Amino acid sequence: MAYDVQITESPRAALFDLKGDAVALTAWAGSHLPPLPARPNSLTKAAAQTLCWIGPDHWILRADAAQEDALLAALRPSEAPAELSVVLISDTLVFMTITGPGADDVMAVATPLNFTRLAADDVTLAEALGTKALLRRIAGGFEIAVDLSYAPMIEEYLHRIRA
Amino acid sequence: MAAEPFRLASGGRIDRTRPLRFRFDGRDYTGYEGDTLASALLANGVRITARSFKYHRPRGIMGAGVEEPATLVELMGADASANRPATTVALTDGLVARSVNAWPSARFDLGAVNQLFGRFIPAGFYYKTFKWPDWHLYEPSIRKAAGLAAAPSVPPEGAFEARHAHADLVIAGAGPAGLMAALVAGRAGARVLIADEGSEAGGSLLSRRLTLDGTPAMGWVAAVVAELATMPNVTHLQNSTIWAYREHNLIMVHERAPQNPSLIGRNWRVRAGQVITATGAIERTMVFAGNDRPGVMLASAVQAYVNRWAVRPGSRAVVFTNNDSAYAIAADMAHAGIDVAAIVDSREVVPDHARMQVTNIPILAGQAVTAVHGHRGVRAVSVAPIRGGASRRIVCDLVAMSGGWNPAVHLYSQSRGKIVWDARLASFVPADPTQPVLAAGAANGALELGTALAEGAAKAADALAALGMAAKAVQVPLSSDTPYTIEPLWTVPAPRAGAKRFLDIQNDVTVSDIELALREGYANIEHVKRYTTGGMGIDQGKTGNVNIIGAVAERQGKTPDQIGVTTFRPPYTPVDFGAIAGRREGPVVLPYRHTPLTGWHINHGAVMYEAGARWRRPGLYPRPGEAFQDTVNREARAVREGVGIYDGSPLGTYELKGRDAGRFLDWVYTNVMSSLKAGEGRYGLMLTDDGLVLDDGVSFRLGPDRFLMSTSTGYADAVWQHMERLLQIERPDWEVRITNVTSQWMNATICGPRARDVLAGMGTDIDLSCAAFPFMSLRDGHVAGLPARVIRVSFTGELSFEVNVRPRDLPALWQAALAAGAPFGITPVGSEANHVLRVEKGFLSLGHEVDGTADPHDLGMAWVMSKTKPDFIGKRSVELRRASGKARRELVGIRPLDPMCQIPEGAPLTPAGRKETTEGFVAACVWSVVHDRWLGLALLRDGQARIGGRAHVRLPDRVIEVEICAPVFHDPKGERLRS
Repeated sequence: MAYDVQITESPRAALFDLKGDAVALTAWAGSHLPPLPARPNSLTKAAAQTLCWIGPDHWILRADAAQEDALLAALRPSEAPAELSVVLISDTLVFMTITGPGADDVMAVATPLNFTRLAADDVTLAEALGTKALLRRIAGGFEIAVDLSYAPMIEEYLHRIRA
Repeated sequence: MAAEPFRLASGGRIDRTRPLRFRFDGRDYTGYEGDTLASALLANGVRITARSFKYHRPRGIMGAGVEEPATLVELMGADASANRPATTVALTDGLVARSVNAWPSARFDLGAVNQLFGRFIPAGFYYKTFKWPDWHLYEPSIRKAAGLAAAPSVPPEGAFEARHAHADLVIAGAGPAGLMAALVAGRAGARVLIADEGSEAGGSLLSRRLTLDGTPAMGWVAAVVAELATMPNVTHLQNSTIWAYREHNLIMVHERAPQNPSLIGRNWRVRAGQVITATGAIERTMVFAGNDRPGVMLASAVQAYVNRWAVRPGSRAVVFTNNDSAYAIAADMAHAGIDVAAIVDSREVVPDHARMQVTNIPILAGQAVTAVHGHRGVRAVSVAPIRGGASRRIVCDLVAMSGGWNPAVHLYSQSRGKIVWDARLASFVPADPTQPVLAAGAANGALELGTALAEGAAKAADALAALGMAAKAVQVPLSSDTPYTIEPLWTVPAPRAGAKRFLDIQNDVTVSDIELALREGYANIEHVKRYTTGGMGIDQGKTGNVNIIGAVAERQGKTPDQIGVTTFRPPYTPVDFGAIAGRREGPVVLPYRHTPLTGWHINHGAVMYEAGARWRRPGLYPRPGEAFQDTVNREARAVREGVGIYDGSPLGTYELKGRDAGRFLDWVYTNVMSSLKAGEGRYGLMLTDDGLVLDDGVSFRLGPDRFLMSTSTGYADAVWQHMERLLQIERPDWEVRITNVTSQWMNATICGPRARDVLAGMGTDIDLSCAAFPFMSLRDGHVAGLPARVIRVSFTGELSFEVNVRPRDLPALWQAALAAGAPFGITPVGSEANHVLRVEKGFLSLGHEVDGTADPHDLGMAWVMSKTKPDFIGKRSVELRRASGKARRELVGIRPLDPMCQIPEGAPLTPAGRKETTEGFVAACVWSVVHDRWLGLALLRDGQARIGGRAHVRLPDRVIEVEICAPVFHDPKGERLRS
């Protein structure tokens, strides 16, 4: 094995893509979300939820899958005001963790991102293995989320890097 | 012959406790750990190691590193690799190598017959000779005759890796300047990546007997390397060549021996804040008759073999130089026991600091070697005064030549930094940078060791300052090096007509070739290069380029700076393709996207097709023993007569939200979307700025400011990028948010006259009646107990329900549909049958009728061009094009007069089938299950006006006459799909 890492697929989560003005978002859904992150490419946590700030006026809410229906009811995507886009995307992303002493090496192959500058729980969209991915630094390694349709290829690729 | 007869009894950076066995050109030899193949061959007295590229002249080892122009070898077995300079092949136990471009061996090469008619094959001869009837008739044979080794037939054992890295400072070269720069930057805390092509650090110090602060210079090297190893902020790579310098300070490093047993090679893509090129300098040859004979070597190479590898390349030598550096080399040669018969210096006056190094060696100032005697090796040289006079013969078996030093400006030039002529050095040196790059040491023209060290420290401080960091004071050690001066001598006159004086050893380019090029008008140095091939090949003219420039300048009465240089291109040295590819092999080379049903399709015998955007879709589901066309017909008939089902998941799906979402859709589509009511949808065409069809799709209104857009599969990403570009650049003030939900809503499409029955059988809370759920509408509800969004659209011309569910639910939905559809003979349908169905209906397909040249009018879809909207993307271009009145290729249907005649898709249509400019092409041709015959669609010049007439398909072996008809063959009123 070239690198000592564990590659693990995470269980599906409840995911919501949130776009729009921060004030409008807070007004519409503030009580159902963790506080908005204060710094771009960071996240906040509350009640088994994380809110990731991944772009200008763009957040991803992640929660346990069991919360999906409750969040759907609370966030009411079809009723959200015009200035706010709330879209359920739970199935679109597959999350994998890459942990272990060789995690940095695997990620150096996977992404051109300078991840050495990512602090714990920093999160960003970046290129990984030729596709768009959501990257997050976690304890002992990284978490990578890719489009569902690419997930089998990405997992195969990661295992090849590790081999 | 005794084992290693030319090995010195002591010295060198080889491990004499670790003898190695190797084989070259079928003979067995021994060497030591630390040898290169070249040093081991020289130690064993192997003089003829190669044959030249064109003339098959015997050649020996000439250099000691990447500059080696003469001896390329092919490695065999587990090390299989082609065209490797012998000087860069680390000796390993069991290594098997053979010379390239020679058969059966370099010692005896049948190709040497070329020497007999060498005068008839000067530069460019094949341009003039092999013209009739066609160059390509001769090309394979010529390439085979002149070619080098072939690529290995099997991949090497082990894996390559391609990785990314980031550094504050990248340093190219771990010679004295590079190490000093790394030390300064490393101590300052900068993230440093230093890469060096050699097997160990030290650069030129590995080959020279110099001191720093009174102790051997290699001691200083060892101390610096040790200190760097303690710095976590420093990455130090040996056996690693920086082979390319790209835009935005992207540096490519080829690491040939990674410290990871699983890897055999690695390519680094490093983004650097600052770069220092400390790449040293490369000695150039002297240009005289016979300067390619085995035994004629670069003086610096002789020094390296003597000092680094404890090898004596000859017994009695003549040193031929035009500069000071050769004097220290001569001293080292004498120290190693080589009888240096004379130093022939083309300069009239030799500086005292040079003379003082060789007090016991005769110096022949103002003279030149005019000829080499000996065919398979040097036996003697002729020496004559530069200003004319009688020559004399000196017996020797080794000529060490030094034509001066060229700073290795390759990387600096690749960075687009300017290089300029330095008359003091008689070479090109770095000047104005265009990226954050600095040159240091010999690579910057600082050829004396002390200056190089000081420059390394100073340039590192400059780089740190640019990074906003401060350098700590560092003590630059005192060097024992001596000054360097040179008086260039570009070419030595030929002693007789026909004597070959080589400028480019690797490509067999002689002074005569250059003169021929100039006579024929190729005066520009780039033209000279292409006409003669000088400077091409594996070594890229490392030893010859500046001599070529000098020779051209000399013949044109100009100075080298007036001639200029050719472009330095990557790679600096050859790179393994595997290292560039890294782990991208096997199934991840061309990755394909999966739907949750991909496994089901494969398990049920589907032949998977590439469907664009990296998706693969089922092409057809053949039953055992079923022929291709029978399968397609069966699937198509199922949809026309009963019910079919296909996996429509790859279609691009986007949710658009915002106050301006409606008008945005009106802008990107040719028709009006903003007038849609909730739950209603509309088909639309999206155009490029040029007014050509970019994509087609349907959009539905989900709510007041919310739309769902469906695109084609292959153009989904392009459409997304197109929309984002428009919003971010052209309409940043518009409030539209786009979310890709392609992977959130995946669908099974149930189509055919019995589709409604199947959907009802699956169980749904949606009213499926036509009145309640008309064509081009959308309903949210449940199907088979699963949350679903059902859309009435049709790509087949039949009643269709596109049932969208969450991917997690798609397998269950699919199974429910199959179960409910079983009584109706529901049939999974692949893209081949879909192709038949849409052609019968005359529906468009991107990549077929929509080929990037068609606008809506061409496709008979003027109706989709809104006449009420003030503007939409592409409108003006379409109107301008229409205003020209020029004939266009227009969509028509075609029916071969012979109904059983299939026409290849893409076949050209020409007037009356004559060999003339085409007037269109066949976009599609299918066996119609409705009409039981072949029919198709075509783009034909003025096609719509020619309906009812005839056209002709011209094939290589026949002409097919077709009837031109309207491009719809089934249900022209659309009653079935609206049913």
